[in-house]
Amino acid sequence: MQLGEVLRTATFRLTLAVVVAMIGTAALQFSVGYSQTKAFEFRRTDALLHREAALLAQEAPQDLAHKVSERATDDLRVVINQAALFDSAHHYVAGDLRAWPEGLAVDGRVHELTVRPNEDEPYVLRVLAVPVAGGRVLVLGRGLHMLAEWRLMMRHSLLVSIVPTVLFALLCGIILSHRALGRVGRMHEAIDRIMDGDLHERLPAGRQRDEMQRLAGSVNRMLDRLEHLMGEIRDVGNDIAHDLRTPLARVRARLDRAQAGTLSADDLRTVIARAIDDLDQCFSVITALLRIGEIENARRRVGFSLVDLNEIAADIVDLYEPIAETRQIRLELLAASGPVPVHGDRDLLIEVLANLIDNALKFTDEGGDVTLAAFTDSQGSARLEIADTGIGIMPQERQAVMNRFYRSDKSRHVPGSGLGLSLVSAILRLHNAQLTISNARQHEERPGALFGVTFPPPAQAVF
Amino acid sequence: MPDRTMNATSTSEPFSSPGEAGPGREARPRVLLVEDDGKIAQEVAEELESRGFAVRHAETGPAGLAAALAETFDVMVVDRMLPELDGLTLIETLRGRQVSSPVLVLSALSAVDDRVSGLKAGGDDYLTKPFAMEELAARLEALMRRPNNTRETMLHVGPLSMDLIERTVTRDGQPIDLLPREFRLLEYLMRRPNQVLTRTMLLEDVWNYRFIPQTNLVDVHIGKLRRKIDDPAGVPLIHSIRGTGFMLRVPE
Repeated sequence: MQLGEVLRTATFRLTLAVVVAMIGTAALQFSVGYSQTKAFEFRRTDALLHREAALLAQEAPQDLAHKVSERATDDLRVVINQAALFDSAHHYVAGDLRAWPEGLAVDGRVHELTVRPNEDEPYVLRVLAVPVAGGRVLVLGRGLHMLAEWRLMMRHSLLVSIVPTVLFALLCGIILSHRALGRVGRMHEAIDRIMDGDLHERLPAGRQRDEMQRLAGSVNRMLDRLEHLMGEIRDVGNDIAHDLRTPLARVRARLDRAQAGTLSADDLRTVIARAIDDLDQCFSVITALLRIGEIENARRRVGFSLVDLNEIAADIVDLYEPIAETRQIRLELLAASGPVPVHGDRDLLIEVLANLIDNALKFTDEGGDVTLAAFTDSQGSARLEIADTGIGIMPQERQAVMNRFYRSDKSRHVPGSGLGLSLVSAILRLHNAQLTISNARQHEERPGALFGVTFPPPAQAVF
Repeated sequence: MPDRTMNATSTSEPFSSPGEAGPGREARPRVLLVEDDGKIAQEVAEELESRGFAVRHAETGPAGLAAALAETFDVMVVDRMLPELDGLTLIETLRGRQVSSPVLVLSALSAVDDRVSGLKAGGDDYLTKPFAMEELAARLEALMRRPNNTRETMLHVGPLSMDLIERTVTRDGQPIDLLPREFRLLEYLMRRPNQVLTRTMLLEDVWNYRFIPQTNLVDVHIGKLRRKIDDPAGVPLIHSIRGTGFMLRVPE
């Protein structure tokens, strides 16, 4: 693991951002603190100057010069750094300020001035000039050295503290990034193994529930689902192969027989006709498979509109009645009193009903009944029920019949692609509708099957 | 369900010749086939040629457009997905330029609403791949013939008469009692006499259904109708066309 890689991690970049924020916070703290201190110091200075000026102004005029020059050795120097007495023409009389500070006005207000004594560096003073008895002017000044010292100290302490803090944070960042990289690296290795074909491999997901492990957990669940789907596809592949091989083998056998050349023209025609029927069977499987794929891929519900199930049911019964009749099955429609509105695709819903009716007719014996009902249930959901009086579907088989190609052993002799119900469940999934299978009635040998479809209430079905 | 499959090898059946029965070779109907898949195009072209069509093949949208504008065709077959110029755009352009020859849109298996957009663009019929050659030929024929949609209240085909107002049917003057669905089916047949009608066409046009039933639904309906129309008279009018569909044929 290279340092460059570590420095590029999200964790390290986050650390950098934190470090910048830390420095910014410290700088802000410093500047706010400094400006507060400065304002406080100014107020204090000004108050001191005014108080001292007031005290000195009370002195007798003849003592004032003496008092002022005496201050040079006085304790008060600490508070008032500079004091001087000037005459009315601003000529020096006494004190430790030898020259009249440039720009100073005698207005009883504190001024901030730069003083340039001959022998010293220039420095900044807060200066107050008040007129005293005898037309003279008392000048008091206080330097800003306290503030400067304080600023120096703060800046110093800030630097002293920030450098190790930043270094420490960066170090932590590098260590954390290194750890994160290690985890990601292990995930990469696992993904590489999966891509190499080991579909049982999973990403390392520990006990901690941090975001990385939750992500790994999600990826693992996705892999589980994919593995399951792959298994299904493999099974479906086998089923397709099986369902196609049988009729194709028959076609081959028939063509072999035809090629032998011993058949009469009529027999030949029969053989060819049967071969075509077998091929049609293969095509019906392929077409149904493509159709299911098409419906399952259709995320769009653009073809959806408000459809009346009652009307569709009536049309379907009209379409299937002759077939039922030829098989001597009573096909009955229990029509609702009014429209049964559903938000859906009319053509696809017709396909659902046609497949369910087709299926019911297929598994009902002569003299039996197939009943179709469309109604709105007490919850306001549209519901379809298709009941027959056939052999019924065992509870343990009910889920399986909706899978692709499932055909109950009892029904192996019944022709069909075996995909009708898969098609139905694919279409119903698209409509968010529920398909349930139960017994149609209490009967030992012929309980019949009841296919119930519940559509979501129209309000929920609008996407 | 043999309808949409490619079991198109049995051409021995006496398929009605395109156009009116027996107009002769010189009046071969002209088809423009716009299809980019060379294999399918060749197959379709050969099949249609053998059925008496004169086929002109264009491989791209622009080539198809140029051909359709330069010559007049009796019918056009246009693939939806074409290089350079999409099939639907091609049809829209042609319709915009007053080219009114009927168009059949070919498409790879696709969602239901594709069909609607195909018809909206100005296509007259829609066929999804894979399809049976019989299906294609029958539909082209139907497109060229244009059904007898007269406003007349009576339809007459051979010995059959249909009163569209009274909803009654007679054969040689003998009334025949039909259920509403049988009446609808017979009306469709009578508007298209001597024309091959596939099971899919009947399902789509008579019942307005677009699914492929698992059972021989159409055959059963035709069978019921036949029993009422043909059985009493002894001379069949409704004929089965093997591997394709049905035809209401007027006896000579």
